[in-house]
Amino acid sequence: MSAEIEGTGKEYWRSLNALAETDEYKEMLHREFPEGASELSDEIPRRKFLTLMGASFAMAGLMSCRKPVQKIVPYVNQPVDIIPGKSKFYATTMPFQNSAYGVLVESHEGRPTKIEGNELHPSSLGKANYYMQAATLEMYDPDRSERPLHNGASIRYSEFMSAWRGLYARYLETKGEGLAVISESFSSPTRARLVDEFKKKFPRARWITYEPVSDENIYKGVAIATGRNYQPVYHYDQAKVVLALDADFVIQESENVANARGFTSGRKVSSEKDEMNRLYAVEGNHSLTGAMSDHRYRLQTRQVGAFTVALAKALKAQGLSISVADGAEVDLDQFDKHWINELAKDLMRHRSRGLVVAGRRQPPVVHALVYAINLALQNIGNTVSYRDLKDDYIPDQSDLPALVKDIDNQKVETLIMLGGNPVYDAPSDLGFDSALDNVDNTIHFGLYANETAMECEWHIPATHFLESWDDARAVDGTVSVVQPLIAPLYEGKSWPEMLDMLSSGRDRDAHDIVQETWKDIISNTNFTDNWRRVLHDGILKNSAMPQKSPRLNSGSVASYLRSHPVATDRGSGENLEIVFNPSPAVFDGRFANIGWLQELPDGMTKLTWDNAAVMSKKTADELGLKSETLIKLSYQGKTLELPVWILPGHADYSITINLGYGRTTAGRVGNGVGFNTYTLRTSAAPYFDLGLKVSESGDHYKLACTQDHWSLEGRPMVREATLDEYREEPNFAPETVEHGAEESLWKDYPYDKGYQWGMSIDLNVCTGCNACTIACQSENNIPVVGKEQVYLGREMHWIRIDRYFSGDVEDPVAVTQPMACQHCETAPCEEVCPVNATMHDSEGLNVQVYNRCIGTRYCSNNCPYKVRRFNFLNYTSPKTETEKMVQNPDVTVRGRGVMEKCTYCVQRIKKSEIRAKREDRKLHTDEVVSACQQTCPTDAIVFGDINDPNSRVSQVKKQNRNYRVLAELNTQTRTSYLAKLRNPNPALAETVSAS
Amino acid sequence: MAQIFPKWTNRLPLYLGIATVVILIGVIFFFWYFGSPKYTDVGYRPKQPVPYSHKLHAGDLGIDCRYCHTNVEKSAVANVPPTQTCMNCHRLIKPKSEKLAPIRQSWQTGKPMQWKRVHLLPQYVYFDHSAHVTAGVGCESCHGNIAQMEVVEQKKPLSMGWCLSCHRHPEKNLRPLDQVTTMGYTPPKNQLEYAKRIMKERNINPPTDCSGCHR
Repeated sequence: MSAEIEGTGKEYWRSLNALAETDEYKEMLHREFPEGASELSDEIPRRKFLTLMGASFAMAGLMSCRKPVQKIVPYVNQPVDIIPGKSKFYATTMPFQNSAYGVLVESHEGRPTKIEGNELHPSSLGKANYYMQAATLEMYDPDRSERPLHNGASIRYSEFMSAWRGLYARYLETKGEGLAVISESFSSPTRARLVDEFKKKFPRARWITYEPVSDENIYKGVAIATGRNYQPVYHYDQAKVVLALDADFVIQESENVANARGFTSGRKVSSEKDEMNRLYAVEGNHSLTGAMSDHRYRLQTRQVGAFTVALAKALKAQGLSISVADGAEVDLDQFDKHWINELAKDLMRHRSRGLVVAGRRQPPVVHALVYAINLALQNIGNTVSYRDLKDDYIPDQSDLPALVKDIDNQKVETLIMLGGNPVYDAPSDLGFDSALDNVDNTIHFGLYANETAMECEWHIPATHFLESWDDARAVDGTVSVVQPLIAPLYEGKSWPEMLDMLSSGRDRDAHDIVQETWKDIISNTNFTDNWRRVLHDGILKNSAMPQKSPRLNSGSVASYLRSHPVATDRGSGENLEIVFNPSPAVFDGRFANIGWLQELPDGMTKLTWDNAAVMSKKTADELGLKSETLIKLSYQGKTLELPVWILPGHADYSITINLGYGRTTAGRVGNGVGFNTYTLRTSAAPYFDLGLKVSESGDHYKLACTQDHWSLEGRPMVREATLDEYREEPNFAPETVEHGAEESLWKDYPYDKGYQWGMSIDLNVCTGCNACTIACQSENNIPVVGKEQVYLGREMHWIRIDRYFSGDVEDPVAVTQPMACQHCETAPCEEVCPVNATMHDSEGLNVQVYNRCIGTRYCSNNCPYKVRRFNFLNYTSPKTETEKMVQNPDVTVRGRGVMEKCTYCVQRIKKSEIRAKREDRKLHTDEVVSACQQTCPTDAIVFGDINDPNSRVSQVKKQNRNYRVLAELNTQTRTSYLAKLRNPNPALAETVSAS
Repeated sequence: MAQIFPKWTNRLPLYLGIATVVILIGVIFFFWYFGSPKYTDVGYRPKQPVPYSHKLHAGDLGIDCRYCHTNVEKSAVANVPPTQTCMNCHRLIKPKSEKLAPIRQSWQTGKPMQWKRVHLLPQYVYFDHSAHVTAGVGCESCHGNIAQMEVVEQKKPLSMGWCLSCHRHPEKNLRPLDQVTTMGYTPPKNQLEYAKRIMKERNINPPTDCSGCHR
């Protein structure tokens, strides 16, 4: 079903089923919950929900008859700075590959529960993506490795120590002959210092850095262009025109938080007089960056290289001095020349205020070309700059094959794996798994006893970053300390401890090791004070490294382009393109056991708990496939079964498959979820290749997709216009739907006194990144329900991100819209509750009283926004103590049979109100911050007191783009939206397919 | 032929009717009275691991509530004191007392004391001590005159109706802030006037919304 919006002629649809109005979809629409959702099916296979994370109070059953005896257990010796019942915030750092995110962690009596971004840190800027937020759940994961293992059996750490000391003494003599280390990539002064020591002691040992997915191609490309490795630092806030070449920089690329924040700062519009930046996206997979773009050009991933060459040539034709691509031969006819020319003109017009970025998937040659283009356009130094690498260990794809060869030649007798999971994610042609059998001593160090640990002789558990002392260097070189929030839950060792043990044979405390490094970093004269200042701030201020604009060696780029030409061939129906994509949810598979992430609907496909062969409708039609059909992919002599998923806007004859699924030893949550696509990945073509063939196996495979759940009968929920249309008609958003006077049958309650809470969501800067969904889940103890339950439409997320398509089925335009309880002043849900379990409070909150709710679900039936969630089962039933610890003690844990929904973070409101009362004052303007607003990387969500004319939310709601969804129903919603704008190039207007 | 039923059976429906009404009222009264927190909870007086006497400490010795319940003005929970607080004095006073053996044991072993909770609210109630104490509600209003209790017991029903009765009309229970911890406080004659003035001055408006206490 689609909605046509008057005047614009635009149709919006969420899925192909919706567009075609299939019977299946109509059935879904007319039932409140999908078929079977309201039946209690106890035959749910494996009863997965029981093993999922969460907690409930064991008392619940006892409460009914007699008052339970509860114990009060005070401290013996109370720490001075802990006030029971009051949470505290500490700054620390989350290392992630060779970057780091600064975070603030909320701690309740020494128990970390919630993660927020650290404003001072350059990679988080006070905001947090979902990987950062999910770190609490990861730390409390009961499936984490608890004890050192020897051939799979628990041992004491001392047993490993004595074994290692034996090896250590032997390798000291041979200078490390036969010793090899495979490490995760990192950027950390302490770790780098210890690795240097290790290399000094064992000069003949091999140290390789391995990551299945990394920015290696970017570094290599820059090295080709400049002769050295540099770390790019992007300044999206400075860019007026951005070209993203297969780069999903707001979600999937490194530094996505800072990127999204910078990029959207150039898109904030407060009136029709403001300007907006312009985004061109060239990509194969339909990404959220593509959805944000003003112009999207659909190409197979392998064509992006040729496109870059064509762009360089077009720029030269426009008079730019760029000659690196002259020698490259590409078929220019495959591209829309008009499009490229207009793009080139736009980049030329915005010299030094444009930015071209390529994704990590593209080969080095593309990045070298991009460097040359950016330099010629004078963008380098303005919208992107570079710093020297320092303390960085970045991976090299060629190292692992060389090591495996050495292993096969019996040159390696001891192999140490620091983090990572190469048995699972190494290229399948290497046979890493069987090579391990030829190594005498294998040691694995990691957070989980994963597939690799199972194949190793020794396994040492790593501590989580929330339990460790460590340090890290951020993208711009800023150094920060990782400080523990809690003593290690298990017998783990931190990275510095492990590296120190390897390099010195000693067993020392990480605090001392890290401080030793920092004595060289901060002034020694006042070390304790300075150290404390760093711990307090979370970073060492002014430690960013100087940013450079390295010179281009165009000869080397040109000759590299000759020896490594860009791909000129294309996929076809017989010879499809295969594209490997790290899963937006579980990345390379490392987050597979985190229920929050597994259940997070993918930004575009809205799939949960699975990966699929994603393709365009045309490709599927030609191959005779439908979504959820199992197909057999054959590539390089290997085959894999995978279900089909059709994504409108995907490039034709190209299939994108997500990595990171099909784990076998991830833990109770991640085991057997999805399909292991690493089995198709080879070292020759780690990201994309041709030569894929598919055959239908005929079987049906259920995918838990949320895109048709909670459908809204095709009413006009999103409103968008181009910047020009907006200038002509500034009030288009509220005027899209004409409706009569907003009159109520009842006497309206006057919400004019005290605090009145409201929210505004700016669709123009919402990237659909899902950070708010996880922030809400973490803050409000929202359970994970499992794939089978999601399939039944029982997902519990209080905020869902709706994704609408409009325009051509093959090349649509996509819009995202966060949707949570709108807190209607005249709420339809309240009228139908037979037990007054949903009520209005005097501050305008639509409140749900859990202990009154009897589960009739009438409220959800009557909610026009479909934002109420029902606990069909007791989803929160913890098996272990640690699972209870992740819960926020300020929020009730809901049991079976209870309706729930967004509360505007009432616990945060009340906390602030009580604090203000205690201090005998009124709330400051914008003192209350909801969890979603706090984490939104683009500040799309604004929350506050609409009765206070100075509050941000009052200001924002005055803008002329402000509209209320379904205002014609007179629901008087407290949440309103700012309409989406696009800024198409006037010269390309006719190719904007949606308008 | 004799009548099968005697004459009084003519009134049987009436008697049955009366009996039903009486029994119904009885059942309702039974649950209303015996099921209410007033009956089930008031007077709850569990035996504690150490027979700590509030009468001795807070009453006779006159130690202020906040010497032990330090965070009552700062946090939602008033906190039961750590073992250390007991040992502040009992290292010197009655260091050999048999009754204090569990305290000394806790201090030596580092194992915390396990007190039984007397005032237990349901899990879905988020009561905040600091909000009440800083508004001028005396400890006594909810806990009774602790200074006269040898063993602490629950004096008030702590039911929602009881909470709301004060949230709707808090005038009786407001005191000057320096009198909050006083036990056996006698309100001044012009209490109502005082309360009205202070409520206006200090913007005391206790919530009666669900969201005031339930989250």
